[in-house]
Amino acid sequence: MRLEPRESGFAAELNELLTRRAERVRERPADVEDDNLLWVAEFPVGEETYAIPLDALRAAVPLKMVTPVPLSPPHVIGILRFQGQIVTALSLASLLGGRGWREDPAVLLVVDPGFGRLVALDCERIPKPTGVPHAQVEEARARNTGAVCEITMPGMRQVSLLDLRRLMDRRQQEKR
Amino acid sequence: MDPLLEQLLAGFVDESQEIYERVQRGVMELEKSPAQGPKFDEVARGLHTLKGSAATLGLDELADFAHRMEDVVLPLRGSAQPFPAPLADAVLKCLDTWMARLKATAQKAPLPDLSASYTVLAQVKPGAVTNGARNGEQKESKASAAETLAANVVRAPTEAAPEAKAAPDDAGGDSWRVSTRQVIALLHEVERLREVRLRLDERRRDLDKALQQLDRLGIQAETAEARAILLGLRRALTSDGEEAADVVVSMEDGLKAISTMPVRTILEPLRRAVRDICKATGKLAKLSVVGAEVSLDRRVLEQLRGPLVHLVRNAVDHGLELPEVREARGKHREGALTIRVEQQGNMLFIEVQDDGAGLDLEAIREAALRRALVAAEELGNMTAQQLQQLIFRPGFSTKAEATEFSGRGVGLDVVRNQIQALQGHVEVQSLPGQGARFVLTLPAELGSSPVLVVRCGEHQLGVPMVAVESSRASRSTELRVGRSRVQLEHREQLIAVQDLGALVGLRQPEVPADGQPLLILQSQGRRLALSVDEVLGDKELVIRPLPVEVRDLAAYQGAATLARGELVLILRPDWIVNLDRRVESGLTGTRRALVVDDSLTARALHRTALESGGYLVHTASNARQALEQLRHSAYDVMVCDIGMEEMDGYELTAAVRQRPETDSMPILLVSARDSDTDRQRGTAVGADGFLTKKDCVSGRLLSEVSAVIARRKGAA
Repeated sequence: MRLEPRESGFAAELNELLTRRAERVRERPADVEDDNLLWVAEFPVGEETYAIPLDALRAAVPLKMVTPVPLSPPHVIGILRFQGQIVTALSLASLLGGRGWREDPAVLLVVDPGFGRLVALDCERIPKPTGVPHAQVEEARARNTGAVCEITMPGMRQVSLLDLRRLMDRRQQEKR
Repeated sequence: MDPLLEQLLAGFVDESQEIYERVQRGVMELEKSPAQGPKFDEVARGLHTLKGSAATLGLDELADFAHRMEDVVLPLRGSAQPFPAPLADAVLKCLDTWMARLKATAQKAPLPDLSASYTVLAQVKPGAVTNGARNGEQKESKASAAETLAANVVRAPTEAAPEAKAAPDDAGGDSWRVSTRQVIALLHEVERLREVRLRLDERRRDLDKALQQLDRLGIQAETAEARAILLGLRRALTSDGEEAADVVVSMEDGLKAISTMPVRTILEPLRRAVRDICKATGKLAKLSVVGAEVSLDRRVLEQLRGPLVHLVRNAVDHGLELPEVREARGKHREGALTIRVEQQGNMLFIEVQDDGAGLDLEAIREAALRRALVAAEELGNMTAQQLQQLIFRPGFSTKAEATEFSGRGVGLDVVRNQIQALQGHVEVQSLPGQGARFVLTLPAELGSSPVLVVRCGEHQLGVPMVAVESSRASRSTELRVGRSRVQLEHREQLIAVQDLGALVGLRQPEVPADGQPLLILQSQGRRLALSVDEVLGDKELVIRPLPVEVRDLAAYQGAATLARGELVLILRPDWIVNLDRRVESGLTGTRRALVVDDSLTARALHRTALESGGYLVHTASNARQALEQLRHSAYDVMVCDIGMEEMDGYELTAAVRQRPETDSMPILLVSARDSDTDRQRGTAVGADGFLTKKDCVSGRLLSEVSAVIARRKGAA
């Protein structure tokens, strides 16, 4: 079945957009069950694309009401309140070792790195969910035991999957 | 019991508690000053009210008992002499009994017997007292005080004296037992509600923007209806927001009242304990309390009662010398006993300090040997600090014989265990001849404390009021400006002046301008004048711990939420006044860079790169602030964003070039866009370099910064 716009008369641009979306939906291989996919939130950092497991993502909130913390390490943007907790906002580009960026981040991703507390990471755009086959993830993780592992997506697109826990641990170790 | 009477009785207990505390304070003061004047009147009035109110409620025995106390006290009205000690002891003890009986009546518990109290009162009736006082008052005083003390001490940790039970007793009929976890969960929900309230504000601002856009279109028939709907919605949102704000404040206050109590509740009764022990031991002591207004988690307070009674008893019994001995050692006859309470973030510090003889290391060594607590060889190798820690060992006591206060070897180990049970620890510091200081450190999950909120640049920071001695406006005539430091002439003393902005790495140190606020801070025996840009006011704030990622920063106790929902960092006074260690703050860089960008994350990224290259980085979030910083400080380079509101990077560059002091400062412009037009415009206004944000990887930024500096030097 093809997904067609409901009504004719839409602008050509909108038609094209809807067609592209429909094609993306169709691209999902029929034999790949959801259970075999790791759902990730994908977002850009400068020229590169990064992803975090979707189940670690708690919220995407506008980057505002952040209180800067003078004397803090440079990767700390500040602190903010999130659902009754005080959470640290960190610069992802800085955590990754000083990357360039295209747009000033306007979004904070509130994530649970897996040690019982939340942190917020800055992000240039609201991330989009994508499914990555578990097998591909495992293969990439086997190649790289660090905080970032490269996954080749369909169309040879490279996505760097972040292991948040390792990323934070690495920062702690550097601090020590 | 009649339900109406039960209800009246509950109110009477609360009312009587206040009167009881007032009368008790009055009696203790009248022990030291003539039995006349307003203080005497207050005591007499208090006893009379207790009598009258008890009679009104049909509590005849209590009314009669209060009447007997009046009989003892009233004949002394107008006397030029203070209350005789045995009389004061008797009245205080009978007050305890009176209050205990009232509470037992309200709780339908077994009633304390009054007959012993009647006997005590009969013994101290004015005629008998004066004789007794003349004939060996000291001995009688000690016996009587010891009796009182024994009664107090026995019930101190578990069954506190009635005056210590200022908290409403939740075993009573009209109260509920609620799990603390539920209360904490509710506190978190209130935080969420506050966030919802803030989101309502944002929605309203969005609506304002929509309305402004409609206004720009002019009044048109097509938009008139939409405009009217939006205006109505705006009014409703404003009103809902205000109501939500009221609910948040009221819920927060309510929950705070439920879960916390001022620490004074357990400290004030210690005055009585000190007085009683002094009477019994023949010593003189004055108890001072600092930080009694700090509100703390009720659970922690209840657990602290016992250890504090113990430490205070120890301080008087073991620490303070007899008045004659003190005099011979050049000290005031009256010993100074100080309890200082300070909450720093989620940590609570309680110091119990005396100016007595200090810990006797030789006596500790002997006692440890005598009681076989440590092997002789091990003892020989111990440092002074290790020896001091022996006093926390079970069974330790330096007294050869047990008295009613000490010597049984049951003491500081109990204190230590009780503090450890609260996940805290206790330390002792002592100097021979100068006294001892016990410091209890405890986690404090809840509680609020007064904080002075100040502004420094665009930052708001909090200073705990407990450290703020005073505030004043700076006057150049009172400042002594040296090459490396500024001092203030304050009350005939010179004290160091520190610029808060420089202290927290926001700017270069500045000499306070005339009229600039100065806070005189005092912490850990050090005093300092802190210059701030503005004092915003004092607030009662709940200080919460910082998240793990920034918890190690020594500068802060924690953070608190202000009324509009923004977080304010609370500074640690001991960190501010400690001028010796500032290396950790990374202010020692030799090359200085000013980063101007309205994006928090861009500033963070530039900082990361520049600090890795050895630069000391100051930041500004807009052009106005950058110009202000440049007015006071010199920088080796300025890294400036182009796309900023109000005044963009081109305008800022042009403004900087117009100032003689900055006309040759290297400037690197940074932009999200990459276009030749932007580069050319930048060069035209005087920028030395241009970099896109996507090229701002660490190495590239540093090399560009070095390049623009080199170009300027070359040009010069």
